[in-house]
Amino acid sequence: MAHYVMVIDLNTCVGCNACMAACSLENQTPVWSDEWRTYVHDREVGKGRSVRRHFIPRLCNHCENPPCMTVCPTGATYRGVGGTVQVEEDLCMGCQACALACPYDARYPFTNEDMKEGEAYYGTLKRSSSSMDKCSFCEHRIKEGKQPACVQTCVGYSRMFGDLDNPGHPVTELIKSGKAQPLLGHLGTRPSVYYIPQK
Amino acid sequence: MELMTYSTQTLWTWWFAVYLFLGGMGAAVVAVSFITHRHLSESRNLVMWGALSGVAMMAAGSGMLFIHLMDKWAAIYILTPWGIFQKPDAWIAWGSQFIVWLQIAAILYALPYMVTSRRLLAMPLVGSILKMGLMTKVAAFAERSHGFWGWVSILAGLGTVVYTGLLLQSFPAVVLWHNPALPILFTVSALSTAMAWLLIVMYLFLGDSVEQRIRALYERVDLGLITAELIIIFSFFNYTLSGSEAGYRSAQMLWNDAGWLFGFIGIGLVVPLIIEFKCVFGSWGGKRTVIPASLCVLTGGYLLRHYFMAAGVYAYPW
Repeated sequence: MAHYVMVIDLNTCVGCNACMAACSLENQTPVWSDEWRTYVHDREVGKGRSVRRHFIPRLCNHCENPPCMTVCPTGATYRGVGGTVQVEEDLCMGCQACALACPYDARYPFTNEDMKEGEAYYGTLKRSSSSMDKCSFCEHRIKEGKQPACVQTCVGYSRMFGDLDNPGHPVTELIKSGKAQPLLGHLGTRPSVYYIPQK
Repeated sequence: MELMTYSTQTLWTWWFAVYLFLGGMGAAVVAVSFITHRHLSESRNLVMWGALSGVAMMAAGSGMLFIHLMDKWAAIYILTPWGIFQKPDAWIAWGSQFIVWLQIAAILYALPYMVTSRRLLAMPLVGSILKMGLMTKVAAFAERSHGFWGWVSILAGLGTVVYTGLLLQSFPAVVLWHNPALPILFTVSALSTAMAWLLIVMYLFLGDSVEQRIRALYERVDLGLITAELIIIFSFFNYTLSGSEAGYRSAQMLWNDAGWLFGFIGIGLVVPLIIEFKCVFGSWGGKRTVIPASLCVLTGGYLLRHYFMAAGVYAYPW
């Protein structure tokens, strides 16, 4: 069985936000509420001549031990294809416990108001009801053999996607070599998103 | 990667503190009054007040959560018993079952007394409902299995009390919540607020129908619970002060806030501690001292949860 992972190289992310645009169109996220499945944080680091911008793309980490799935009382959050973490919209009652459980701030509510706004914004909505929302690793695209929309569109090839169980894949080598590290690994969530730190 | 952002959540705010407060206190009111009835006192009024006020508190608290759900129909998945078989690792699933069964069992335990209560039978709407043939049959059924419903209420009540702490404990990113002491703190606090509420009820409404020794016992137990709560709070302070930046920031938020210091610590713990100490070991006592002390305890019970929800700090690596 596959174990899908993403590696993000912080040295090549230029902060163009194309990933955010691609994701929002692919997955119809409520951008009018400033809610995104993936978001690129932009921080200014240093002073004077050594000042530089620091971009950190954030998304659901599709943890192997996901606290959002544990706390979900209805089973709306479940394990999907290739170890991904998915949301069954019709089962979600919107208690928002998953949002509080997630250490990566990856969950947000797609509210009833967003449903109305979404129809006006995107036309026909792909979803049938309000629910807590999050990145799905573009599960629908993975099933078709494609890459997630954010990976497909990344101009700096900062985002790489692959199967950790495939020993020859570049992402596997980056992770096994220790060049790519997970965020907040000490929490025991065992994330499936890894980052190559900025040099 | 060394960048960190520290922030608090804005999804579960005061209304969730109300849920935790009323849910925990209501469940503890039922558990404490029923344990008292089964082992220490024969007061039927205590059972009825415990059951009705406890159920009302839990209904109001649960209502707070319910009205904030995005899809209220989907709540059916946790209100039906197979919810915990489907998600046995989710504390909300357990808590919902505890609350549902606690309310049913508490009413069944009190019903045999309610259908014979002259005061309730004299009430316009309540009286006519209690006189219905169906009610009499249900009361007779509940009477035959009285002990069973009592113990279901007590166990589900204690389960609910502990659940309120376990729920917050299951959020690993927040140091203030994700630690072994939180369920103990919320349990002690819920039992203390329940004792305080029942003391108010006894002094204001139950008169001589509950023995004086029960009031004295409640005051002593509450004194012990407030003392334990102070120790646990100090332990939290010591724990969060070092070890993690997020915990330190939680400590800073709490201990630099006048509402926490004077509201929770001062009015909610120290003032009732002094009054109840004087009641138990000194010459103070009676309605005029116990009721203000109990009101302080109730205020502190809410403030504790309010500030804990507000001061849960997340550490984000960006």
